[in-house]
Amino acid sequence: MSLFVDAVGFGIASGAVIALGAVGFTVQFGISNVLNITYGALMTLAAYLGLVLVGWHLSVWLALVVVAVVIGGISVAFNRALVSPLVQRGASPFGLIVVTVAAGIVLQYVVTAIAGPQAQTYGEQGNSSIGVLGMTFSVAQVTIIAITVVVMLALHLLLTRTQLGRAMRATASNRTLARSCGIATDRVSDLAWLLSGMLCGAAGVALAITVVSFDFTLGATFLIPMIAAAVLGGVGQPYGAMLGGLVVGLVTQITGALWDPSYQDVVALGVLIVMLLVRPRGLFGAAWSARRLLA
Amino acid sequence: MSSADGAAPRIALAVRALAAGYGDQPVVEGVDLDVPLGQVVAVAGPNGAGKSTLLKAILGIARLLGGRITLDGADVTRLPLQKLARLGVGYVPQLDDVFDALRVRENLEMGGYLCTRRERAQRFDRTLTVFPQLTPLLERYVETLSGGQRKMTAIARVLMLDPKILVLDEPTAGLSPELSRMVLHEQVRVLGDLGTSVLLVEQKAVAALEVSDWAYLMVRGRVVMSAPAATILADPSMREVFLGGAGTAAAVEGASR
Ligand SMILES: Nc1ncnc2c1ncn2[C@@H]1O[C@H](COP(=O)(O)OP(=O)(O)OP(=O)(O)O)[C@@H](O)[C@H]1O
Ligand SMILES: [Mg+2]
Repeated sequence: MSLFVDAVGFGIASGAVIALGAVGFTVQFGISNVLNITYGALMTLAAYLGLVLVGWHLSVWLALVVVAVVIGGISVAFNRALVSPLVQRGASPFGLIVVTVAAGIVLQYVVTAIAGPQAQTYGEQGNSSIGVLGMTFSVAQVTIIAITVVVMLALHLLLTRTQLGRAMRATASNRTLARSCGIATDRVSDLAWLLSGMLCGAAGVALAITVVSFDFTLGATFLIPMIAAAVLGGVGQPYGAMLGGLVVGLVTQITGALWDPSYQDVVALGVLIVMLLVRPRGLFGAAWSARRLLA
Repeated sequence: MSSADGAAPRIALAVRALAAGYGDQPVVEGVDLDVPLGQVVAVAGPNGAGKSTLLKAILGIARLLGGRITLDGADVTRLPLQKLARLGVGYVPQLDDVFDALRVRENLEMGGYLCTRRERAQRFDRTLTVFPQLTPLLERYVETLSGGQRKMTAIARVLMLDPKILVLDEPTAGLSPELSRMVLHEQVRVLGDLGTSVLLVEQKAVAALEVSDWAYLMVRGRVVMSAPAATILADPSMREVFLGGAGTAAAVEGASR
C-alpha cells in the first residue's frame, strides 16, 4: 500500500514536469499549427545547459530560470530561421514534421558530441522531505510542483484576462481575421515560440532534477509521455495538457511501481492509444485541432 | 448623395488596373474602382465572378499580380493586412468572419484591439445597442452560435474598429430579411452618411443599390458596368442588365421584394 502511495506522490511530481513540457508544446502548436518534434531535443539541450550552470555553482533553481530564458530565445530563433520561412514557402504540415524531426536529431547529436554519451547529474538536491497525506515529497519535487502550478495560473491569466493573451487565442483561431483586427500575428507567433521555449527549458531542467541521472536521450524519451499528455488534454488546450500531464504521470509511475519501471513509456503510449479510441477529441471532447488555444 | 460634377470628391480608396488571383493566373483583371469619401459603393456579380477575390486583393490576402491601391491618396499596394487595419480599414470576409474559439465578448474585444481600453468600453456599449440580440450571447463561444448570430458577431466586431473604410463581403448572408434591412439601411447607409466609406459586395442587388451611391457589376473577373446606383435603379434597361448580370436567385428575390 505504501508502495502505491509513494507511486502516487511520484506520479504527481512527474506529472508536474510532464504538464510543464506538454503545455509549452501545445501553446506553440495551437498558434503556429506546426508539430514541433525538435521540442524533445531542445529539452535535452536545456538539461545540459543546466549542467553547465550548475557546474558554475549556480543553484539548480537559478539555472532553471536562466535556461528557460535561453531556450526561449533559441526557440524564437528556430522559428524565425527555419519554420516560419518554410511555412511562408508553403511547406506541407508533413514536410514540417520531417524538418523538426531532423533538426531534433541534429541537435541531439551536437549535444552528444560536445557533452559525451555518459550519464550526467546535477547531484542530490538535499535530502529533507515533506509529507503530505502519507506521501513523501522531496523539497525539489515540491518546488517543481509549485513552479508548475504558478506557471499554469500565470498562463491562464495571460490567455483569458489580457488583451495580449486574447490576441494569441484569436491568432490561433483565425490568423487572417486577427490580422484584419490589427494584431501583428508574427509578433504573436514569436511570443508563442518564446513561451513554448521557456516552458521547454524549465521542463528540461526540472526533469533533469527529478530523474537525478540523465543522458542525451532525456528529451527524446520524454517526448512520448509529453505528447500523450497533450493529446489526452486535447491538443492546443493548456488546461487539458495540465490534466493530461497529471494523468500520464500518475499512470506511468503507478504501473512503474507496481509492475516494472521499464514499461513506463509503453504504458504512456498505451494510455494515448486507448484514449484516442475512447475520446478521439481529448478528455474534454473539444476539437482536436490546432485552431484553438483554450477549452 | 454627393457631388456629381463640381469639385471632385476625395477618393478614400482607389484601385487601378488591379490583377489578382491565387496562383499565376489572374482571377480578376483590369479592375479600376473608386470609393469616394463617405460613400457606399456596391459590387455585384454572379457567383464566381471574382468579387471576393477583388476584396481580398485590396486587403493583401489574395495574390496581387498587378495594379495599384491607394488609400486617401497614399499608396498602400502590398501593405500587410494588420497595417491596413491601423489605417482604419475594417473587413468582414464572406467566410471565416469570426473567431470560433473565442467568446462573443472576446470577438468584439479583438475588433477593438487597436483602441484604448476606454474607447473599447464605449464602443462595446454602442455596438450592443446596434445588436441587442448579442447581449445574452456575450459569454458564448462563437462556434456554438447559429449562422445569423455569427454574422451579427462578425459585423459587430468590425464596428468595434470604428473603421474609416469598411470592406464588407456579403454582410447579410444568412441574416433574416429584417436584420439584412437593418444592417444595410441603418448600418451601412448611416455609416456612409457619417463619413465612413464603404465597399460592399452584396448578392441582394436591389437592396444593395438602394443603400449605395455607386455600383459596379463584375462578370468573369472584370468590371462590365459602373454607374451611380440611383441611375441604375431609375433606368429600366440598366436595371435589367444589372440584375441580369448579378443573375442570381438572390438578385431576383431582391428585385421582387
Ligand atoms: N482560395 C482560392 N484558391 C483558388 N481559387 C479560388 C480561391 N477562391 C476563389 N477561387 C476562384 O476564383 C474565382 C472567383 O471567386 P470569388 O470567391 O472571388 O467569387 P465571388 O464573386 O466572390 O463569388 P460568390 O458570389 O460565390 O461569393 C472562382 O472561380 C473561384 O473558383
Ligand atoms: Mg464571394
